[in-house]
Amino acid sequence: METLKTGLGAEAAPPEILVDHVTMEFRRAKDEASSLKELLVRSLRGGHRYEPFKALDDVSLTVARGEVMGIVGTNGSGKSTLLKIIAGVLIPTRGRVAVDRRRVQLLTLGTGFDPELTGRENVYLNGALIGYTKAFLDRHYHRIVQFAELEGFMEEKVRNYSSGMVSRLGFAVATAGDAPEILILDEVLSVGDLFFRRKSEARIREMIGGGSTVLIVSHSPSVIRSVCSRAAWIEKGRLMAVGSPDSVCRAYEERPQ
Amino acid sequence: MADAPHRRQYAFVIRQLTSREIKRKYSRSYLGVLWSVLNPLLSMAVLSLIFSQLFRRSIENYPIYYLTGYILWQAFTGATTAAMTTLADNRALLLRVKFPMELFILTRVYTAAINLGYSLIAYAVMLAVFRITPKWTMLLSPLILLCLFAFALGMSYILAAAYVFFGDVKHLYTVLLTLWMYCSAIFYPAEQLQGVIRTVIAINPLYLYIRGLRQLVMAGQVPGPAAWAAMALWGGGLYLLGHTVFRKCRNRIIQKL
Repeated sequence: METLKTGLGAEAAPPEILVDHVTMEFRRAKDEASSLKELLVRSLRGGHRYEPFKALDDVSLTVARGEVMGIVGTNGSGKSTLLKIIAGVLIPTRGRVAVDRRRVQLLTLGTGFDPELTGRENVYLNGALIGYTKAFLDRHYHRIVQFAELEGFMEEKVRNYSSGMVSRLGFAVATAGDAPEILILDEVLSVGDLFFRRKSEARIREMIGGGSTVLIVSHSPSVIRSVCSRAAWIEKGRLMAVGSPDSVCRAYEERPQ
Repeated sequence: MADAPHRRQYAFVIRQLTSREIKRKYSRSYLGVLWSVLNPLLSMAVLSLIFSQLFRRSIENYPIYYLTGYILWQAFTGATTAAMTTLADNRALLLRVKFPMELFILTRVYTAAINLGYSLIAYAVMLAVFRITPKWTMLLSPLILLCLFAFALGMSYILAAAYVFFGDVKHLYTVLLTLWMYCSAIFYPAEQLQGVIRTVIAINPLYLYIRGLRQLVMAGQVPGPAAWAAMALWGGGLYLLGHTVFRKCRNRIIQKL
């Protein structure tokens, strides 16, 4: 294991996000009782066999104010679990996370898009779930549609959209707001065609430029290299490396397959 | 639980989710939301056709007698059966947004309340058709509905939590509902039964609500203080119980999802 630490003295201000020895265990029962009958039979026979599964194993991490921290890792490495814990959706088994949750915004694409609703209805539903108020959505609706380049399609049901259209709309809604103070992005930077990807990266940069603290999760090192100021690599729930995006991404790319 | 802006946002989310539920329910039907009005009327027509002869002596104005019970019963079953599966149905969403899970349960119960609103239109028309004179006691009916929905909400919390762990709760509940319906004197006069079953009916909260509404609307009588106390206790009590159970299980539910 390789740990690259930046100078600890550099962070004089208290960290904006503090992840302190966090372990997340899921009890993955070997063959879990999924019905009452089974449970009854099993408890009579005595005992369940649980196989603890550690999605995160003793991870510690700090993100200072104004930092853009990237997290890389393969699928299923625990990245998303970490984000959910920081955002307050999950509660860790052990350890603690210190962050002002009121200022956190977690952006994921297409949260709650419903194919049976029209584009317009989905903007409102999705916007509400992200945390925008009705007044805000009324004011920004036009800009969202414009950004997604979906003028003229908004009264159509989303089930008739192409997948590119859906992700464009998802991105437009997710990033419509003013940049929150702590922004968490879960794989939102790899959608659409090349043209739209450039546009979306520019939008993210704009939000980052506003002085927000940003946490980006991606399995693509190139995204991390181009926007982050620091990076971490998580693999099988363990923190493998923390440091400059370049060194962390190199370690990630050169990992033994 | 939350401050004012948060609560307003929660209300907005619930409204959006509810409008999705309703649009989805009727998204492929021609008459759309009109079915919420037609359904109780058709059911009333069928039952009246069969039973109004049978109970001519004991029940005055059988169609209204039945319809009063039927709409309350439908509101209760509609709310609880939909809320039971809501956490599983919205699994993907739940693990991504920061909102309390309770919102999803509230949404399904609120949807049932909106549907009841449509049924009440049908009810009002039928009251006019059968020349039920308006009485001041009708103004007290919202109190009964309030108790009913508190009761339904409490039940929903318990069922939703249970369903996450045991899928067969759904089937058990269907059987229970059948039994419960026959014990609620929806389409027959409760007075004709004797013995144990009579006692069961007398303490059955749903029967209390149905009887209360019948008294207010059909007879112009106000239920006695004991009846009000029983209705409020069942409603408030089950709500508190359900909410407590749900809170206790919250973490385990998230892990299981």
